[in-house]
Amino acid sequence: MIPTVAPSRPSHELVPLLTALAIAVLLLFLGGAAQVVILSLLLAYILDPAATALEARGMSRTLAVVIVVLTLTVVIGGTAYLLVPAVMDQMGALQSGATTEQAADAIRDIEHWLKGSFSFLGLEDLDLLARIAAFKQSFAERIFAFLLNDSLSLIVNAVTIPFMMFFFLKDGREMKKKLVSMVPNRYFEFTLDMLYKMDMQLGNYLRGQFVDAVAFGVMSVVALWILGVNYFVFLGVFAGLANLIPYVGPIAGVIPAAIVAVLGSGDLNSATPVIIAYFILKLLDDFVVAPAIVASSVEMHPVLVLIAIMIGGELFGILGMLLAVPVAGFFKVVLQEGVSTYRKYRFN
Amino acid sequence: MTDFRARVFGYNRKAKPDEELHAILEKIPVFEGFSPRELAALGRVLHKREYLPGEVIIRQDEPGLGMYIIQSGEAAVISGRDDVQLSVLGDGDFFGEVSLLDETPRSATVVARTHCLIFGFFQSDLFGLIERDPRFGVKIVIRLAKILGDRLRKANVQVLALTERVHELNAPAPR
Repeated sequence: MIPTVAPSRPSHELVPLLTALAIAVLLLFLGGAAQVVILSLLLAYILDPAATALEARGMSRTLAVVIVVLTLTVVIGGTAYLLVPAVMDQMGALQSGATTEQAADAIRDIEHWLKGSFSFLGLEDLDLLARIAAFKQSFAERIFAFLLNDSLSLIVNAVTIPFMMFFFLKDGREMKKKLVSMVPNRYFEFTLDMLYKMDMQLGNYLRGQFVDAVAFGVMSVVALWILGVNYFVFLGVFAGLANLIPYVGPIAGVIPAAIVAVLGSGDLNSATPVIIAYFILKLLDDFVVAPAIVASSVEMHPVLVLIAIMIGGELFGILGMLLAVPVAGFFKVVLQEGVSTYRKYRFN
Repeated sequence: MTDFRARVFGYNRKAKPDEELHAILEKIPVFEGFSPRELAALGRVLHKREYLPGEVIIRQDEPGLGMYIIQSGEAAVISGRDDVQLSVLGDGDFFGEVSLLDETPRSATVVARTHCLIFGFFQSDLFGLIERDPRFGVKIVIRLAKILGDRLRKANVQVLALTERVHELNAPAPR
């Protein structure tokens, strides 16, 4: 007969509960640190197949991870090397408040059009040039203040994120095994089963999203370069990142590019080719690139996605908005797989 | 440093190979004849579990995720509504190896009779091995396929013998 009384192990039973509680407390009270850990984990998770592929070619895990991390550092470092001078130039121009004659013409055209089309809103006193100059001044001041105040944490993050990512990539398997070993015997197989199925669904989804963002960013850079838009690298990378945010992202990506195109040429019509180019790119992305890259998608209701984006933005700003959808997808898969796997087991 | 890592992460890669574990693994048909390097790689993915007397290791009708190898202790295999004891497993015995390839429900319940130290090797671990070291992973899969092939051949012989016996029994008695 199967004994009905299972051996009690109070300390072991409490481990998952305490772990979950500790994670919740960490997320709530150590927002910044949690952000760094989540980002490092996410990057390690996305890059894991690259390290595994190198391992399959006969390399040790450590060497494979070193190569992956070095490659990523070179790519990010190279992009930053290309971007920083352009961004600094733009900052300088912004702070000096200098506006080119073409840009001033374009702004005057927009002002004229706004006053003509929306006179019923009482826009007679609208002085766009003065308002833009004031906004640019305060914006540039805010950016410099951010760089001065947060430069230390930026440097710390620039070091800690790759450092943590390296160890998550290298020792992640052992860490996961160690965590699973703490699960009580009765829930051990269930946990393994759920983790594996979650990994299958979520891994494909997150990696697909990452590759899709890179592809969209590269396509945007090329399109803006062909159209002769200033700061095409910066704007293209921004569009690629923004594309990670559903619904809002594609619009957020096209607006700065259109504004830069208008201010650069002084012609309102120069926004049209940029908008058309983004429209074509979005179609290409939705119907050609994404179906080929994103193997499985985590279907979520649009309202749920928007709520996740708002919460992410409220808690962690722009990075939070970028991480909101993958994190919401993670919870959805955890819940979905958790429930379906739980049903297969006869827990009392 | 290694001590620190071992304390923090609970493992130590530079530790001496677990000879006791290797000796057990070598005797299991699935891993027979594997090199020490392969056994060490296998040892790294195994999950070590501890069961107290009376604790259920696997439950009949629940999804089968992989195989278990008993390092030490005794476990009873039980089946059916009346919990009929089919056999008793001891040190070095293993069960559930077919679940490495097929996630069908467990056909019996296994309960620890004494304090048991058990190693678990699961489908997800096998898939991970195939991804990281395809040659080694495929070696395990082929070994499993051979074992299943042997069992199928034996089952076919038994089915044939039983069919012949049924024919004999159904044949009209000579007048």
